[in-house]
Amino acid sequence: MSTKPDPQNEPKPSPRIAGRWTDGDLPPNVRLGPNTVLTAHYAFKRFFSRENDALVIGAHATMDGVHFAVGEKARVSIGDYCYFTNALLLCELEIRIGSYVVIGWNATVADTDFHPIAPAERIADAIACSPLGKGRPRPDIVRKPVMIEDDVWIGPNATILKGVRIGSGAFIEAGALVTRDVPSRARVIGNPAQVIGQVP
Amino acid sequence: MSHPLPRTLSWDWHPGAIPENVVYDQTAYLETSYSFLLCRSQAAAAVQIGRGTSIYLGVMFDVGPRGNVRVGDYCLLNGARIICDSEITIGDYCLISWNVVLMDTYRMPVDALKRRGELESLPSREPRRASSEFPAKPICIERNVWIGFDCCVLPGVTIGEGSIVGARSVVAEDVPPFTVVAGNPARAIRHLEPSESAGAHAPTIQQSNDSTI
Repeated sequence: MSTKPDPQNEPKPSPRIAGRWTDGDLPPNVRLGPNTVLTAHYAFKRFFSRENDALVIGAHATMDGVHFAVGEKARVSIGDYCYFTNALLLCELEIRIGSYVVIGWNATVADTDFHPIAPAERIADAIACSPLGKGRPRPDIVRKPVMIEDDVWIGPNATILKGVRIGSGAFIEAGALVTRDVPSRARVIGNPAQVIGQVP
Repeated sequence: MSHPLPRTLSWDWHPGAIPENVVYDQTAYLETSYSFLLCRSQAAAAVQIGRGTSIYLGVMFDVGPRGNVRVGDYCLLNGARIICDSEITIGDYCLISWNVVLMDTYRMPVDALKRRGELESLPSREPRRASSEFPAKPICIERNVWIGFDCCVLPGVTIGEGSIVGARSVVAEDVPPFTVVAGNPARAIRHLEPSESAGAHAPTIQQSNDSTI
């Protein structure tokens, strides 16, 4: 048998190889790596980013029922072999997630509080957000990037708030509310999340 | 003698059927067959639902091939997610509210290196779904337990008879009987008198298939 590849018989890449969204056409500034699959018809209902490469997901990832609520100037990047089920990603600046990250049911990752803290500013914000607030500028709101490193496990109903960096291999227990950085390989639980041990 | 139970529900919005290995009392109310979409247990009686129990919208029985869920009599489940690869038992008169997660398994190896292996094999599966082969520890909710909104019950936990779990709690350790726990992680905050529940009797209800009780 000839070892020379015959271009006629060369296998064409199957549609499975390219990343795809099962429920529609991807927005132009979304890139999915090979064999990455994204489900949920509402995945991009709140995807408003105008950035180039606003959402980049690596290869072999599974995004099952994930909601990408991404603001106009925000960017999300996700590595290879990630597995998210029904997670909610709320991004107004930047969320960066490594490879081999697992995010469980109903978990939320947010890089902003969405509203200001000062009472007077909050009133201004409520008016600006209302149907009567057309054109009014919203006050500045704190945004801080969220970084989730490789091999992190995030349990069901957990919440990760703005500015947090979760070190590689950390284990975020179900329902934990993470407000501060988590060291590598730490196991955290609670509201606010506290380190209760190490991953074996 | 006994009638075969209907596998479809006349009021169902979901065009599915209730799997054959879901055994429910004819007085139980099942709102939708959608609750069993993720039930793939091979067990003979994978899900058992007792007398007068109501399973409302949003309850999901996410039961792996060897999983077994037993729900007692007069229970009220409303929007709970039951993730079961071994055994989850819910006693009589339990009240379980919205968005509660009962999980007897993490569905992933705890060891990061083994987890990588699992994640690498996941994309070639159809459907892409986490394996149910990882160690699971049974959950036992004893009778007359009330679990509030948004709680999580972690693998291996037993919640004793008559206890209450406050909203948004995460139960990582066993709860003794007749105890109110709350917080994340949940801690005991009050003791209940067992005698307070001594008068609990199932009211005699005329058997009826009418779902609008």
